[in-house]
Amino acid sequence: VKILLADDDADRARYLVRALTRDRSVTVECTVNGELLADAVAAHAPDVVLVDMTRPDRDALEGVRLLSLSRPHSVVLFVDEDDPAFMEEAIGAGVCSYNVGSVAPSEVKPVLRAAVALFRRHQQTKLALDQAQARLHERAIVDRAKAILIRERRLSEPDAYRWLQRQAMATGRRILDVAQSVVQAKEDPP
Amino acid sequence: MTAPVRLGLLRLTDSAPAVLAQASGLFAAEGLDVALHVEPSWANVADKLAFGLLDAAIMLPPLALAAVAGLRGSHAKLIVPMGISLGGNAVVLGGPAAAALPGDFADARAAGHAFATWLRSQSQPPRFAVVHVFSTHNLLLRHWLAEAGIDSDRHLEIVVVPPGQVVNELAAGRIAGFCAGAPWGEAAADRGAGRVLLGSSAIRPDHAEKCLTMVASWAASRPETAAALMRALHRAQSLCDDAARAPALAALLADRLSLPETATRAALAGGSGIEKIRFAGATAIARADALWFFAEMRRWGWLEPATDVATLATQVYRPDLLPTMAIG
Repeated sequence: VKILLADDDADRARYLVRALTRDRSVTVECTVNGELLADAVAAHAPDVVLVDMTRPDRDALEGVRLLSLSRPHSVVLFVDEDDPAFMEEAIGAGVCSYNVGSVAPSEVKPVLRAAVALFRRHQQTKLALDQAQARLHERAIVDRAKAILIRERRLSEPDAYRWLQRQAMATGRRILDVAQSVVQAKEDPP
Repeated sequence: MTAPVRLGLLRLTDSAPAVLAQASGLFAAEGLDVALHVEPSWANVADKLAFGLLDAAIMLPPLALAAVAGLRGSHAKLIVPMGISLGGNAVVLGGPAAAALPGDFADARAAGHAFATWLRSQSQPPRFAVVHVFSTHNLLLRHWLAEAGIDSDRHLEIVVVPPGQVVNELAAGRIAGFCAGAPWGEAAADRGAGRVLLGSSAIRPDHAEKCLTMVASWAASRPETAAALMRALHRAQSLCDDAARAPALAALLADRLSLPETATRAALAGGSGIEKIRFAGATAIARADALWFFAEMRRWGWLEPATDVATLATQVYRPDLLPTMAIG
């Protein structure tokens, strides 16, 4: 099976190529940045195209046969009618697969399954990273607010934190929001 | 707490009613919690509707019909209860083609004949971009060229380029021209990459452009929510047609969808563009529109001969839902 992989995330693409080519009967080509997807399909003549769903040019693969008679094969979105849960999982993970010409579903599904697993893992890693960054960012704001309170109100560090806590309780806001307004008031005075 | 309504849309000027309804509180006034999903491609919108990751979307009517007819691999169950916009697409020519067709043309017919003459003089079929195979753009472009005696499958090579990339492709000379929705026609002209030859309303006056598409099972299980969504969008449509509000609307769309503001303004009411979008007149839909799109698809050999388009059009196009659910 010849696979064309259209994924702008170079790291993920590298992992996926490695995972897919463990099967010796599989070859994988990757699209080049800036290349139109339809041109890449014409150039590589793959059996299967795996596409990152965040790519806007995925539309270029829809009904390629319809657009031009010069291309011999139709390009059809792989849909397993009997397994809607799998389809939902794939779309949720952000990857889809197109068949070029006639490929047996039994050959496509394992390929797409591997891609879905990898895209999901990537999504989870990214989510965890985003959350960690958000927490760090929140910590930094609270620290800046505390520093301002220590300087301006001559509070100790635990008192500065308790001051933020009390304000949050009294106004029904989160500590982060109170800290944010302390920092803002200091940075752009009215 | 009910789940928010997941409404899909693309970065286009005619997504305005949904963006305005969200920003100005028209959804909230209906008690609706709407999550706008700005999707990168039409295929994403179609797939997410088909597999339950969106409840509704601002959609291309031919794509909704194609999805239901099984032209995208499976038979999606979708309905179209109201229209969103009329007109708004531009046929744009890049440098060489624009230079060969100087001046203004009296009408679409005259422009078509001049364009046909240029096409026939080319040794290679020039590349022309549309935004999706099952788009109003592709069908209108083909219809217009056929009137001038051009076979779009032979005299030109039609490729699909995402709307947000057509201006770059044209500027780089990789396509000879395109037919795309606002703001991309005016954006190409503003950048000096091409000129707007004609608007799609000149090809087919008051043609249906975007529609509201809903997942049939979702609309059936949450009829009040569906009706509220339609009411809010209908109110937003009236506001979107108000020339006095157009500058603020263009600024809102530029901000929320990262669109070029000047080109966006040009296609709204009172704008400077050749082609302008109308919203309020689009609300009521007619099955005749679905039948026209199907007839054009059939003309290009895209439908199985046995496809019962009359039954499909009746299933998908539900003009009956508007008075009962929303306005009445």
